[in-house]
Amino acid sequence: MQEQVKERILNELNVDKLEQFVNDLKTKPDVVKATNGPWHSRVKWQGGLKARAYMRNHVANFDEPEGLGATDSAASAHEHILSAVGACMMTGFVFQATRRGVKIHDCEIALEGTFGSIKNWAGISDESTPGYPEIKAKLFIRADADTKTLHELWNEAWKRSVVAQTVARGAKITPEFEAL
Amino acid sequence: MALFPVTTVGSWPRPTWLLQALRKRQSGEISFDQFNTLANDAVVEAVKLQEDAGVDIVTDGEQRRDNFYSFVVEKLEGVKLMTLSQLLDFIKDRASFEETLRALDVPSFAMKSPVAVDKIRPKSKLAVDEVDFLKANTRKKIKVPIPGPYMLTRSSWFPGLSDTAYPTLEDLGKDVSKILHDEILALKGAGVDFIQLDEPVLSQVVHGAEGAETFMCAALATRKDPTEELSYALELVNQTLKGISGIKLGVHVCRGNWSRKEDVLLKGNYGPLLPYLTEMNVDQLVLEFATPRAGELKVFKEYADEKEIGLGVVNPRSSEIESPDLIIRRVREATKFFDPSRVYLNPDCGFGTFAERPVNDAQTAFAKLRSISQAAQRLREAPLEIPA
Repeated sequence: MQEQVKERILNELNVDKLEQFVNDLKTKPDVVKATNGPWHSRVKWQGGLKARAYMRNHVANFDEPEGLGATDSAASAHEHILSAVGACMMTGFVFQATRRGVKIHDCEIALEGTFGSIKNWAGISDESTPGYPEIKAKLFIRADADTKTLHELWNEAWKRSVVAQTVARGAKITPEFEAL
Repeated sequence: MALFPVTTVGSWPRPTWLLQALRKRQSGEISFDQFNTLANDAVVEAVKLQEDAGVDIVTDGEQRRDNFYSFVVEKLEGVKLMTLSQLLDFIKDRASFEETLRALDVPSFAMKSPVAVDKIRPKSKLAVDEVDFLKANTRKKIKVPIPGPYMLTRSSWFPGLSDTAYPTLEDLGKDVSKILHDEILALKGAGVDFIQLDEPVLSQVVHGAEGAETFMCAALATRKDPTEELSYALELVNQTLKGISGIKLGVHVCRGNWSRKEDVLLKGNYGPLLPYLTEMNVDQLVLEFATPRAGELKVFKEYADEKEIGLGVVNPRSSEIESPDLIIRRVREATKFFDPSRVYLNPDCGFGTFAERPVNDAQTAFAKLRSISQAAQRLREAPLEIPA
């Protein structure tokens, strides 16, 4: 009778699959190519200041606070940026922690950003920048590892985060246009 | 007992290995009995340090508890320990909680409430097992803190989770009051010398800004106006203590003990609370007075000697060790309003109210208690001494 191999699960992740993926990245160019992208999002106006983004089979809604005359039915796009930075850094942290056998009990990232100038966004000034000049991200972690290891993992998460590095390095955005 | 008995408010910092065991307990990897066996060593150490520091009335350092009220989940049926992150799905105004978390610089998983999700019934007594072990390991008098009925009711009733079993907060309050009443009788029978009801959240009722909820009690989001809340707290406490005598009873109120940042903790004197606290059928008010946030003792002018005072003379959250001289000066101030025979000395609050967020280390806690004991000794030997 064939012996059944028990799956290794840590942090609700299949460790073997995770290692297999890393191995494939090392040895299979087609996996690298498929994972690198391109990645897509399509954003559709929903009336007012509302928008909906379609990504593969997922959707995310956007709106603005009522102060802007909007309906505050969803988070703003700039809040999604904070969340995306946090979620991406968390993904990296959990990925690396799991590979190193660290069991995570609780993990939370608190993010904060302040606009350079809301007047710039509104088009009534060219001062500063409409965006966040700085984003603060603080990790709260409860895990079975010493502080030094957890700090190393956090540094790795930041250094290797797709979204954090995209934001921090200022990706080139190519605006295109077609009027119908 | 000699004048100026020295005691604590309850909690003591847990050793790292105990916190690891607590996490295993909370994730279900070990049983409550297994955890308790491990915790025995931590209790013995906490008691020894209190004794060595000269404490007259010791506690078990709340070593078996996650925090001063959430521990009841192990002892009651119908109660579930939930973190704020789990409760967020049931909270309407999440933005105000996010503001509070940011101001306090804490994660949402650090805040845990024992939420009533069904009719609550005792599985066992809340603290009698703690007392049995404590009594077997000390010859000192012992004090046991238990959550007060208002705190426990407030923290346990959550709209959307509790209202099937308890349509109103008051419905839950009746059961909580009955359980605590029976608990106090059982603790008295087990030989406890001093029972302290923890009602810290009363300060939030009076001094906390509406909408800015504290770390202590997520369910305060549904509170009514301060007068109604305080009247209800008084009613619950006295209902709980009805017919009980022959044991020292106290009530503890502070202004938060989860952060070492003084500016994020509540501020305001006891004046608005005293009309209610002095009507509670307890012997002693265990109050913080070691920081300016608590206001001045002169608020007792109209209430002098109505109760004993458990005087907070050291800040449990600071690294500096208060000198015996400073403590004596604080006691002298208190004796303007209280007869010396009615003054007990203690820190403002526990040293490890929340297991995972102790506000000090054991070494500092020990040094602070020793300083209080030295002050008490000098006060007993030279009752009129007033240090410069």
